[in-house]
Amino acid sequence: MDEEIVDYTLDYAQSKKIEYAEVRALSQVQDRLALRNGILEAYVSAVEDGFCVRIIANGGIGFASTNKWSKEEAKEIVDLAFKYAKAAGRKDKLVFAKEKGIKTKWVVDQKKKIENVSPEERISTLGEVDKALASCGVKIAATMTQCTIDLISKYFVNSEGSKITSFVPKIGLFFYITVAEQGKMEQAYKQFGYSGGWEAFKLLNVPEKMVHNAKVLKDVITKAKTVKPGDMDLVCGPEVTGIAAHESCGHPMEGDRILGREMSQAGRSFIYKGGPYWIGTRIGSDVVTVVDDPTVEHSYGYYAYDDEGVKAKRRFLYKNGIINEFLHNRESAAKLNTRSNGSSRSINYDREAIVRMANTFVLPGDMTDEELIEDVKYGVYMKSFNEWNIDDKRFNQRYVGREAYLIENGELKHPVARPIIETTTLKFWSAVDAVSKKIEFEAATCGKGDPGQGVPVYTGGPCIRLRKVYVR
Amino acid sequence: MNDILSKTEEIAKKAKKLGADEVVAKTTFGKYRQVRFSNNQVDITVAWNDYVTDVALAWKKRVVATQIRNFQDTDANIKKLLELAKVSAENPMFGGFAKGNFRYAKSKADKKLEDLDSPTEYVYEGIEAAEKEAGSKVESGGILFTKYEDVYLASSEGPVGADSRSAIEFSIRAFTEREASGHGVECSSGLKDFKPARAGTKAGEIAKLAKNPKIGDEGAYDVVFDPLIMGSSLGVWGQMASAFSVMIQLSVFVNRIGQKVAPEIVTLKDNPAAYSMSNRTFDDEGVPTKETTIIDHGVLKAYLHNASTAKIFKTETTGNAGLPYPNPWNIELAAGDRSKNELFRDMKKGLYLTNTWYTRFQNYAKGDFSTIPRDGIFLIEKGKIKQSLKDLRISDNTLTMLNNIVAISKERQPVHWWAEADPPSLSPYVMFKDVHLTKSR
Repeated sequence: MDEEIVDYTLDYAQSKKIEYAEVRALSQVQDRLALRNGILEAYVSAVEDGFCVRIIANGGIGFASTNKWSKEEAKEIVDLAFKYAKAAGRKDKLVFAKEKGIKTKWVVDQKKKIENVSPEERISTLGEVDKALASCGVKIAATMTQCTIDLISKYFVNSEGSKITSFVPKIGLFFYITVAEQGKMEQAYKQFGYSGGWEAFKLLNVPEKMVHNAKVLKDVITKAKTVKPGDMDLVCGPEVTGIAAHESCGHPMEGDRILGREMSQAGRSFIYKGGPYWIGTRIGSDVVTVVDDPTVEHSYGYYAYDDEGVKAKRRFLYKNGIINEFLHNRESAAKLNTRSNGSSRSINYDREAIVRMANTFVLPGDMTDEELIEDVKYGVYMKSFNEWNIDDKRFNQRYVGREAYLIENGELKHPVARPIIETTTLKFWSAVDAVSKKIEFEAATCGKGDPGQGVPVYTGGPCIRLRKVYVR
Repeated sequence: MNDILSKTEEIAKKAKKLGADEVVAKTTFGKYRQVRFSNNQVDITVAWNDYVTDVALAWKKRVVATQIRNFQDTDANIKKLLELAKVSAENPMFGGFAKGNFRYAKSKADKKLEDLDSPTEYVYEGIEAAEKEAGSKVESGGILFTKYEDVYLASSEGPVGADSRSAIEFSIRAFTEREASGHGVECSSGLKDFKPARAGTKAGEIAKLAKNPKIGDEGAYDVVFDPLIMGSSLGVWGQMASAFSVMIQLSVFVNRIGQKVAPEIVTLKDNPAAYSMSNRTFDDEGVPTKETTIIDHGVLKAYLHNASTAKIFKTETTGNAGLPYPNPWNIELAAGDRSKNELFRDMKKGLYLTNTWYTRFQNYAKGDFSTIPRDGIFLIEKGKIKQSLKDLRISDNTLTMLNNIVAISKERQPVHWWAEADPPSLSPYVMFKDVHLTKSR
C-alpha cells in the first residue's frame, strides 16, 4: 500500500468541483486453504492490494478503483468517478450526513501472531478436524473445509480531514460434512470466525464442535422422529435465535433497504415510511431486545471505525419489542434526517461501502436454559438449523432444525427430524415469552450488494422460548 | 498486447525453471462498469480496473496458487509460491493440468463494452419502458453492468493463448405497489440487439398484473416457471453437475451417470457460446471450451470436468476448468415443442411464477430445498390469470422437480441476475406438475 499515492489521489479529487471525496486503500494478505476429505486440494496465498475513490459532485456519486499503484492511474480513476458523479442526473441531490474529520489508528491484537504460524502448522491444524471426525464412530461420507486467513490493512482519507489507518487479522472456517448411516445421508454446514490471532483455533474448539455435529446427524438418521404438526412451544437455541435476529431484525432495519436502494437485489423492508411499521411500533414482546454491535472484541464482525470513518457503537434495533433504531451509513442517514451510526462496510477496495450489520444478537435475560425448558409441557427444542430463508421484505421466514429434541413435561426426549418453523417476523418475536441468560455467538457471512459483498458477522443470543407457534 | 502474453509466458517459464512440475499463468486485464439505480434515479456509477495474473503450480502433487498484481514483484512472488509448495501437503488425487497444443476460436468480444460513453442512457431507457408499460408512478431499481476482459494464458503443459471476453447485463425490478413488482433482465455478450427497454417492459408488465396480491394457499400445484426463475434452477443444476460438487456430495447427481433423472424432453447443456455472458474460447487450463451435454433426453450423461477431476472419473476434461475446481459456464435447457402461449392455454389450474430468491438446501445429496418466489406470482385458471398472489414458498426436491417437468417452451432467453440466477443460462418457460408450496403460519 502506497499512502503517498492515496494522499495524492485525494488532493487531485479535491482539485475538481466536488462536494465530497474519499480515498480508501486496502492491502489484504490472504491465505485460502481448501480440503476435501482431509486432503489439501490447494493452498492459495496472495495479496489483494488496491485503492478506490468515491466522489459526490452535482448531487451524484461516482466510484472508481484500481490495483495499479501509479499517479497516472490515480488520475484516471478520479476522472472516471468525477465524470460518473456528474452524469447521474439526479432530481434530488445526494448528500452525506454530517461528520467531523477524524485522525486515528486502530488495530486488533493477536495473542499468537498469524504471521508467525508456518504453512505446515496451518495445514496440520486444519487437518485435526478430519482426524477427529475419522475416529468419532460416525460414518463420514464426505467433508469439505475452507479456511480463510486474512491480514487486512486499511488507510482511509476524506475531504473532511479524516485520516484513519487500521489493521485487522481475521480467520474464517467453513465446513460441510455428509454423514451416511443405514443407507441414508444427512448433511450439515458449520462456520467459525474470529478477529485476532492464531489463538482462535483453541478458543473455537473446532474439532470438538464438528464431532458433535457428526453425532447429531447420525442421531437424526438413527433415532429421530418427525413431530406431529401443530401449535406448540418452541425453544430456540442461540444459533436459531441468532439467525432470526440477523434475518428478521438486522436486515429489515437497514436504512438503505428501507429507502429502496436495494429494491432490485436484496429487496426492500416491511418497514417503510407511511407503512404499518416504523420507529416506535411494536414488533415483538417486551422481553425481546435485539442489538447490532461491531464493538464486541475479537468478534468476526468487529471494527472500531466503519468504512466511512464513523466511530462504531452498539445499536439497539428492537428495544423491549419496539422498533427503535435503523442501521445507517452517511447516505441513508442524511435521507432520514439523522446521523450515521457507523454501519458502513465494504468487503474490498473495489466495492462501495454500504449499510451492513456487524454482530446482531438478542440481549440475554435472567433465566437459565433449563428453566426455559422446564416450563414447556409439549414442544420442540430447536438447537441448530440447516436450511433457512426469508422473503425480500424480511417478513416470511423459515428455519429447519438440524439438532432438535422433543420436550415433554419439561424434559428433553428423543431427537426430532427436521422440525420446521415457517412464520412471520411479527408472530415470531411476539411469541417470545422468556429469554435465558447464557449468550453464544455463531460466525456467518452476510450477503448483500451488487456485486455481492459477503461480510463477516456474528449472529447470536441466548435461548428464547416461543409460546404456541406452528411447528411441522 | 502480445507484450502481456509474453510476460505471462515468462511467469510460467520462470516457475518451471525454479523447479515447479507444472504451471498455469493467466493474466486478466479487466474493465468493469456498473450503474446502480433505485426509485427511478441513479444511485452510483462504479468502475473497476483490475490487472491480475493468477498463477497455479504443482510440485510433487502439492498444488498452490497466488495472484500477481500488474506484474509487480513477479520473481519474488514465484519464489515464495514455490517455497509454499515445498512445505504444503500432497494431494494424491491431483491429476495434472491439461496437456496439449490447441488452436482457439477467434473471440467475438464487443470492444465497445470496454468503456461505454453514456451508460446511464441505457438505464433511463429501461426505466422509461417500465413507466410506459405500468404508468408513471412505477418505481424501478436495478443495475447496468458491463465487462471487458483481455485474457492471456500460458501453461507449461502446452496451452498458450489470448482471448477477449465481454458482457452486458441490464436488470430492472419495477414496483407498481408496495407488494406488486416485476423483474426483467437483458443479458448479452455485446451491444448488438441489446435492448434494455425489453427488460423494462417485461418488469412493468408483470408489476402491473401483480397489483392487489392476496396471500396464496399451501398445496401442490401445476406451475409454469418464467425464464427468470427457471434461470435460478438451471444455475443450481449446473453447479450440481460440476465434478467437484459430485465429489463432495453437494449434488443430487452422485452415482447417477447413465440413469434417467428427468423426462425425455429434458436436455441440459453447458455452453459458453459467443452469445452468452460467459463467453470464452478456453478454460483456466487453456483447454478449448465446448458444448457439453449434461442430461441427454432425460439421461444423465456427463459431469463438468477439469483435467484433474476427469482423470479421477476416467474421462476427458470438458473444458470447464476453473482453478482449482471445475465450474459451469452457461447452462442451456433445450427448447421444447410448445409455444409459451400453449403452456398457459393448457393449464386448467395452477401457478405462474416469475422470479425467486434465497434458495437454500437442507440436504444437497437428497435435493431437499426451499426457495421464495418474488415479484409476480399468479393463480392461473383455464389459461388466464385469475389472481395475483404473495407470500408463498416452494418447499420441494430437486430430483422430484426434474422428473415432474411436463412441458418446455420453444422460446428461450439469456438470463442472469445477481447471485440468484448464476451462472448465466439460456432459459425457456417450463411447466412442472405437483410443485409443493408452503406459507407462514
